[in-house]
Amino acid sequence: MNQDIIYILPVLFSLLGALICIPKITYFDKAGSLIGSILSLASVVYLLFQPNLIDHYVYVDGFSKLLLLTIAIVYISTVLYSVFYLKHIENLLFQYRLYYFLLNVFSAAMFFSVTVDNLGLIWVGIEATTVSSALLIATENSQATVESAWRYVIIVSTGLVISLISVTFIYGSAHTLSLHQLLLSHPHNRVFLIGILLGIIGFGTKAGIFPMHTWLPDVHGKAPAPVSAIFSGVLLPVALYAIARLIQIFPSETIRLFAMILGILTVGIAALLLTVQVNYKRMYAYSSMENMGMILIGLSLGKLGLLGAVIIILSHGMAKSSVFFLSGDVLSVYHSTDIEKVKGLMQRMPRIGASLFMGSMAVTGAPPFGIFVGEFLIFSALIAQHGWLIALIVILLLAIAFISVNFRAGRMIFSHQEKPIKEKTHTETWVSIINLILSFLVILFIPYLELLLKNLL
Amino acid sequence: MNHIFEILGFILIVLTLLMQWQSYVRRTIFLFAASSFVIALFLVLLGLHHPREEYMLFVLAGLTIAVRGLTIPAILNRATHRLPDKPWRVREDKPLMGLSGSILVSLVLIAIGYFIYQNSLYSVLKVHAGSVPFALFLQASLLIITHKHAYIQMIGFLVMENAVVMLSGWVFSGLPFIVEMGVIMDLLGLVVVSSLIIRVREQAISQEGETFGSELRG
Repeated sequence: MNQDIIYILPVLFSLLGALICIPKITYFDKAGSLIGSILSLASVVYLLFQPNLIDHYVYVDGFSKLLLLTIAIVYISTVLYSVFYLKHIENLLFQYRLYYFLLNVFSAAMFFSVTVDNLGLIWVGIEATTVSSALLIATENSQATVESAWRYVIIVSTGLVISLISVTFIYGSAHTLSLHQLLLSHPHNRVFLIGILLGIIGFGTKAGIFPMHTWLPDVHGKAPAPVSAIFSGVLLPVALYAIARLIQIFPSETIRLFAMILGILTVGIAALLLTVQVNYKRMYAYSSMENMGMILIGLSLGKLGLLGAVIIILSHGMAKSSVFFLSGDVLSVYHSTDIEKVKGLMQRMPRIGASLFMGSMAVTGAPPFGIFVGEFLIFSALIAQHGWLIALIVILLLAIAFISVNFRAGRMIFSHQEKPIKEKTHTETWVSIINLILSFLVILFIPYLELLLKNLL
Repeated sequence: MNHIFEILGFILIVLTLLMQWQSYVRRTIFLFAASSFVIALFLVLLGLHHPREEYMLFVLAGLTIAVRGLTIPAILNRATHRLPDKPWRVREDKPLMGLSGSILVSLVLIAIGYFIYQNSLYSVLKVHAGSVPFALFLQASLLIITHKHAYIQMIGFLVMENAVVMLSGWVFSGLPFIVEMGVIMDLLGLVVVSSLIIRVREQAISQEGETFGSELRG
């Protein structure tokens, strides 16, 4: 148990950050969040060099460590960005300290979900992210943001009730919810199979997987930029983590095929909807949906596909959070999320324009960013296991998504504006640029990722 | 004993049907509390019927009364006091389905729940009248879909949760205690946060009407 404490340090540090936010003292909220996020990142980096630990309380293998790292990086960048960005929000629903308190609790719930050994507690952690993040969506008090927060609560919670039924079925047939015991026993009966299938649908709701994805564009379109960033960058992959564990427990052909079909449908629906977007925040939300679909396809394929999925999780976490931060900068200057109303970005804010261009290329899988490498690995596995036809369909859908996002981003960035007023550089833009660089650097660490995932590959 | 379970299942379905037809929020909250008590009674009887698992089922019944039967209805009731209307006048103005339509659809959903259960899960679970939680789940979905008032949608979600408690208790004698506690903590947190969001939402709608238009299209 003493050894376990090291592995739950990220949870404890982010909760410490939340506690510091409680007293009504100036700057305690910002300072507490910074302390919590810095200590969490430091403890996660320390954990990367520790052996895997699997016992009755925690389940931390290479996959968990990489998710912990992604959460820690996006958490610290979200805190840093929020420190500068929140002043742009005029009509706050609550005080800053509640915002920071919820942000820290939200991060703690995500750390908890990828650390525990119990499938039921993973469910509890993921549901706790709903409780802590619902109010964050409505940070800006307007009818549309509050409505999107409410839709998020009701749709995601309904999806999670389906995954609770799944947990019940799994417990009923295996008499345990411990991940390592489930992996050892590999129960094979119909109740267990139904439980796993329901789990993929239920947790898929939280990950923005078709058919229960409808909350995702509404929330990303209306939440403040840092909240959209942490949702897209790490919340969606944390829900996919639960699905990855379900597939790992019961790796039957039926389950893999079911997950792959849902993944392809998610990529397809996102790609088609991307062609008609007029709001840049919703556009990047559908891009996240497309990326989650690709990750699910990778998870369903296993081996090389799984490595590709993990590379996308890491690279997407940083690149997409960067893009959402930049969308916040654009919104604070143009006061509109309408693509048509954003003109001459490169003339007015060259640093933000160039970064947004690179970010859009990164999230749509342009080389040399990590998402490109991840998608390449997934395609290799897809062709090897299911032939060229399915791979070609997915490539076509990705091409549609690539053109749709970059064409619209290009219109905002490179269009000409008469007499543009050059804006002052935003300090918080540096957070986006650093995340973008980190997203690129992921490809340098692929051999290390392989080493961390060697028990799964 | 099976007949008693079937009668309690029938009462739960009737209570959910009444929620479907009810337009006043406070009465719907009362019906939800009543259905939680019926589920607790069900779990107690189940505990007496299965002596080996009685301890867990009695604990689950106690938690159901304390949280789902008393605390959550109290929080929701209190929250109705903070709305612009008088608490007893808070109601669903325009349900998407009329009374006769909702009766018909509810009956169809009960039949669908029975059909799905008998043809897919009965051979595996081997529990008589095990279709009741599935029918409750479908009825709760209807409650959410056909009502625009956020409190009634919230109660629809809570009925779904109750259906899962009933399913896990009836078929599998509950989940591990630590998981049950986690689920209850999450549920309480969700009710508190939702009450706050609903209050702001309903106040804004009553003052300005629905103004978000095509901004939220799903």
